[in-house]
Amino acid sequence: MTSDARGSRFEALGAYLPPTILGTPDLVATVTGAPDVDLERITGVSRRRVYDKRPTAGEDSYGLALKAARDALDHSRYDAGDLDLVVSASITRYRDGDDFYFEPSFAGLLAKELGAHRAIHFDVSNACAGMMTGVQLLDRLIRAGIVRNGLVVSGEQATRVAETAAREISDSYDPQFASLSVGDSAVAVVLDRAVDEADRIHYVDLMTCSEYSHLCLGMPSDRTEGIALYTDNKQMHKEDRLRLWPAFHGDQLAKLGRSFTDEGFDYVVQHQVGTRFVDYVNRTGEREFATPMPESLSVVEEFGNTASTSHFLVLHRHLKAGTARRGARYLLVPAASGVVTGALSATITNLGV
Amino acid sequence: MTTVITAAATVAAPADGPAAAVLLAGRASRECLAEARLSPDAVGLLINVGVYREHNTFEPAVAALVQKEAGINLDYLADPVPGAAFSFDLMNGACGVLNAVQVAQAMLATGSTERVLITAADVHPGGRAALDPHYPYADLGAALLLERSAGAEGGFGPVRTAGSTEPSAVAGYLPTAGMRAGGRSMITVRREAGFADQLLDLAAATAAEYARAEGLDLDRTLLVTSRPTADFAQRLAARLGLPASAALAPDAPGPGAGLPHTAAPILGYLEAVAEGLPAGVDQLLFVAAGAGPSAACVSYRPLDR
Repeated sequence: MTSDARGSRFEALGAYLPPTILGTPDLVATVTGAPDVDLERITGVSRRRVYDKRPTAGEDSYGLALKAARDALDHSRYDAGDLDLVVSASITRYRDGDDFYFEPSFAGLLAKELGAHRAIHFDVSNACAGMMTGVQLLDRLIRAGIVRNGLVVSGEQATRVAETAAREISDSYDPQFASLSVGDSAVAVVLDRAVDEADRIHYVDLMTCSEYSHLCLGMPSDRTEGIALYTDNKQMHKEDRLRLWPAFHGDQLAKLGRSFTDEGFDYVVQHQVGTRFVDYVNRTGEREFATPMPESLSVVEEFGNTASTSHFLVLHRHLKAGTARRGARYLLVPAASGVVTGALSATITNLGV
Repeated sequence: MTTVITAAATVAAPADGPAAAVLLAGRASRECLAEARLSPDAVGLLINVGVYREHNTFEPAVAALVQKEAGINLDYLADPVPGAAFSFDLMNGACGVLNAVQVAQAMLATGSTERVLITAADVHPGGRAALDPHYPYADLGAALLLERSAGAEGGFGPVRTAGSTEPSAVAGYLPTAGMRAGGRSMITVRREAGFADQLLDLAAATAAEYARAEGLDLDRTLLVTSRPTADFAQRLAARLGLPASAALAPDAPGPGAGLPHTAAPILGYLEAVAEGLPAGVDQLLFVAAGAGPSAACVSYRPLDR
């Protein structure tokens, strides 16, 4: 946990959501192997956005990311040419329609297309903690004086795994069941050096407990044509997994002689797996920290689990709608395959959205 | 404070079975830790920079699976070690190791961690590079352990990177349309005519700019380059007006193994220091160029030479 005068801040936040809405009953109707499953009751997801298949729509992972990056730059004091760093964090790496890319990096391609010609560029891949990972690296590179600013972006064509799941699953215990709760989206965030206390990232601390790295695996299906995600939900969401966040966060705070209550969080943003998951994690936090949780912000009912973009999509929607207060202190808690947990604490006041 | 290499290792693919990036990187990690006489808990951050992996796995980060293989921060509840490790994949084609060195410098300089382990393993998604005549790379793993050095001398210089406005002449992807149920073992690596010149142009310009900006005497420097083609090091040396002996591009171990990909800088480092640096040479300049096109450079002055 580092906290010094050379810290960073969120400077601008952008998002893009495909306009096409798919209601949960309409999705369930395509699940041939389990047509009666009550997906909405189990996950709390009532609808999600889905990509437009037409190439002209530009809604593959790369195209989604590009739109969010442009939106962030529209709300930033920086032009693309001012950026020192571009990091892309997509899990789904579709470009040119159906091609799943491993190289070149999306970050390099995005930097080129945006006009960020000076920018250092690389991708990070860290499941649903990808955006948070990119933000941590950018924060450290700013603190170390290596860069002054940068953009972290992710476009997720997540419903590609839902399409495979709908074709292949047979019941609600299927390892692909969680794939039905995902939605498509993109977010991008610009960071630069903090200049006052009104906007500051106080800390980003992340940890991977690798014993559980096999609990959620994404790869092409070996049954039908598509990519798939196989999750051991029972193990992944076991109480001991959920206790990792309060245990780690609490220990990090204790090193500084602080407690969760001392932090004065106004809002908490959990990973948007489902409404029950969010409630469960908050209850676990409440019990382990022995204090009530701050107000929990969510968008999972409307957009589903949007993978790496989820925390920043929550911030974007609530700040834009005025349902989250400016001048407040936010806690973002990742929960990702790996398994990754941790905490990002930030005061947000003047962030452009 | 500088960042120095504490240990390095490479691991070749098994001769008698399919290769897995997780296992190759995991073994290389353990070899690094053994060389440095450190326990797995000594690593605070693991960055995996491999591009091609078994089954085209895209989640979790390959780094998390490597971390498990190396026995690092398995379960914080069972064993809450103080520097509880974090890991992620960093992907930027052949430049990955050098990008990761820059990230490691930031992590070490800010006191975020004490040691960073970089792993670089590429395997054909089907497990045997030799069985796919269109796939140019070797199944190969490597690891590099970095830490802070108290002194101001030696270690890595600043990392410099460059991109280009040209479209990339190199790409690696899985064409999912038409893959049917075979996507776990297929990969397309496209290298257009002229790709070698594109990478050479960018690498030469980036290295020359690095030498100028950092005041590097190239006559006292051994270039350690990535290896997009067999003759890349010699051609890069010629572009910079240096003799062929001033540049080293490593071979992957084993006959007909293919080109080393993301592991090349680590392989090159081990080759460069194995017999001691040549007379009159006191530093290395790592130069990597790959898909993007993207290039990166960083100097390294070994501590004990």
